[in-house]
Order: sequence, then structure tokens, then C-alpha cells
Amino acid sequence: MASERQTEANRRNAGSSAGPRSVAGKKRAAHNAYRHGLSLSLGSSAAVARQVDKLSRKIAGNAKSEIVLRYARDAAKAELELERIRKVKVALVERVLVFGALGPTVRFGPVTKALRHLKLVIAGKAMLGEPIDPLATLPSEEPERSAEAMRRAVPDLIRLDRYEGRAVRRRDHAIKRTINNRLSK
Amino acid sequence: MSGESLTKTLSKPALLMTESKQDYQALQASLEHEIMPRSFVESMYVADIAALTWEILRLRRCKSGIINNAFDKALQNLLRSYFDFNYIAAQDLARRWFADPTAKEVAELLRRVRLDEFAIEAEAVRLSSSALELIDRMLSAYESRRNKALRSIEVYRVGFAKTVRESSDRVLQEIRVPKLGYRANKVSA
Repeated sequence: MASERQTEANRRNAGSSAGPRSVAGKKRAAHNAYRHGLSLSLGSSAAVARQVDKLSRKIAGNAKSEIVLRYARDAAKAELELERIRKVKVALVERVLVFGALGPTVRFGPVTKALRHLKLVIAGKAMLGEPIDPLATLPSEEPERSAEAMRRAVPDLIRLDRYEGRAVRRRDHAIKRTINNRLSK
Repeated sequence: MSGESLTKTLSKPALLMTESKQDYQALQASLEHEIMPRSFVESMYVADIAALTWEILRLRRCKSGIINNAFDKALQNLLRSYFDFNYIAAQDLARRWFADPTAKEVAELLRRVRLDEFAIEAEAVRLSSSALELIDRMLSAYESRRNKALRSIEVYRVGFAKTVRESSDRVLQEIRVPKLGYRANKVSA
């Protein structure tokens, strides 16, 4: 555990930080809100509350204990979150199937890479060509089209996997608690 | 517990627009037939196993699709080495070879440098390796989650039976059984 002095030093250092400076760091930080959005629990709309109620009653069975109902509710929330994450994943792949990419494609990254390509064009070893349309490079036939869409979406899908794993663990834990407390009261 | 009541509580499965709902339902029905869920929680786990199995199948399909899609680029890379890194000549020949199944030029070129068509596949795998690595990571996560869901059904069944037995034992201990009056009277007499 950090000492009082260390904690104070950490706070001081954090206060002087202005966030990421490199392009890669800024790009990574741009995903924070999106990732935090998924780590938030389900919204508090009436429809979601009704869905949670309905599912938790089914999980609890005929149990009347407050503790069992609370754990059943936690399991229901985690199960619905799991469902939401799976839908988000499918929606991302479908977006690639329709538009060819999840965001604007960067033709050249750093300037050095662009210059290297330009040298190859001058030497007749590469073509300048038109800007690449991500949809045009997506195969037109199935299953190649879906495979390519999956390849393009996989870096984003793997990020969502963490949330999926967390929801599974929360649900399993709550169900285990439900069983342990069920009928013991 | 039938799968019908579960699907009424949970919403539709997450399927891609190119995937068949009937195939998914058939998979879920066969899993329900095998596992025979006895409660709502067990049905929930069976639905989870169906979703995970479907995602595993989807990823396995995609793996071979990704390698197939990389064949064109892989051949171009091989030919670029042959044509002294002339991108345009390599691209032309590769396209001709893929467009015309009777074209033998590439096979002859490869033979001349003691290679065969497997070299194209190897290059396609190499080009796709970063995506394949991520997909393999997802696959192993899904496989471990599916195994865990199967174990959860087992644990749930055992746990439920145990709690019922414990509860029943407690009830039996708490209820005082009246003494047999006839035998007691006989002993005192």
C-alpha cells in the first residue's frame, strides 16, 4: 500500500499532467468514453427495469428471501449486459459489412512512411493510385465478405471481450450466491 | 423448462445479417435436447452455450476466409521478389493467374525457383497472422467460457440438490417427533 507521502506525490504529478501527448496516446484516449460507456451498468429506463425485474423473478424461482432476490437481480443485470455487449459486437461487424470500415481509413501514417511510398512511386516500383475506398476492397461474395469484415473489426472486438468476460463472471457469481442462499432461509 | 419461455424473457440472439436464424435455432434446440435443462437458470446457461458455440463457429469460418482473402496479396508479394520488386508486373501476373484457372505461368515461375503453390498459402498465413492471432485469442476465451458454462450447469444441479437436502435435514431435525406413549407406559408399568 502506498504511503501518505507517495499518495501526495502521485496526486501532485497527476495534477501537472495534461493527458497523452503522442498521436498514439491521444488515439487510445479517444476510445475511453466508448469503453467506459460499456463498463457502465444498464440504463435506468422503465423498460430496462421491467426487463431486469422479469428476469430476476425467473432466476429466483419461488424464493421470497430478500438476499436471494438481490442476488437474482444482480444475475439478471449481468445477463442483460452480456446480451448488450454481444449485440454491440455484431453491430460493429455489420457496420464493416455495410461501410467497409469502422472509421475513416488513414492512407499514410507518419510522414516518413508517405515519403518512402513516394520514393517507390518515383522509382516505378509502386503506384500512387486513388485513395482506397474500404467498401470497394471488401469481397463481394460470402463467406469471404464476412471474413474480411471480421478481420477489419477484430481489434475493436477484442477490446469488448474484456467487458464480456466481466459480465459473465458477475452473472456466475450472482447465480452461485442465489443457489447458496436459496432454501437456506 | 422449455426454451420457449426463455426466449420470451431474453431478446433475440445476436446474429449477423448474413447468418441464418433457423440454423441458430436448430443449434439451440439440439443443445437443449442433449442437456435437458431442468430450471430457468439451466436454460439460461444452455442459451449462453448456444451463443458461445455460434461465435466459435463464426470465428473458425472467418479464419479460413481471412487466409483465402490474403491469397491475392500473397502471390503478389512472391512475384514481387521474382520480378525484382516490380509492383506493377507482379500485380498484373497475379490478377491474370487468379482470373484464368488455366494459366500456368505462375506455377512455372515458382517451380523455376524451387517453390510450389504451398508457398502462396504460407505467405497468405504470414500476412494474416496478426488478425489470426487476435481471433485465436477470442476463440480460446470463448472455448473456456463455454466449458465454464457447462460446468456451471453441473454445479447448479449439485448445489441445488445439496440445498434441498440440507433444508430437508434441518426441517427433520427441528420437528419434534412425539414419543411413543404406548412403549413409555409399558416400561414404567
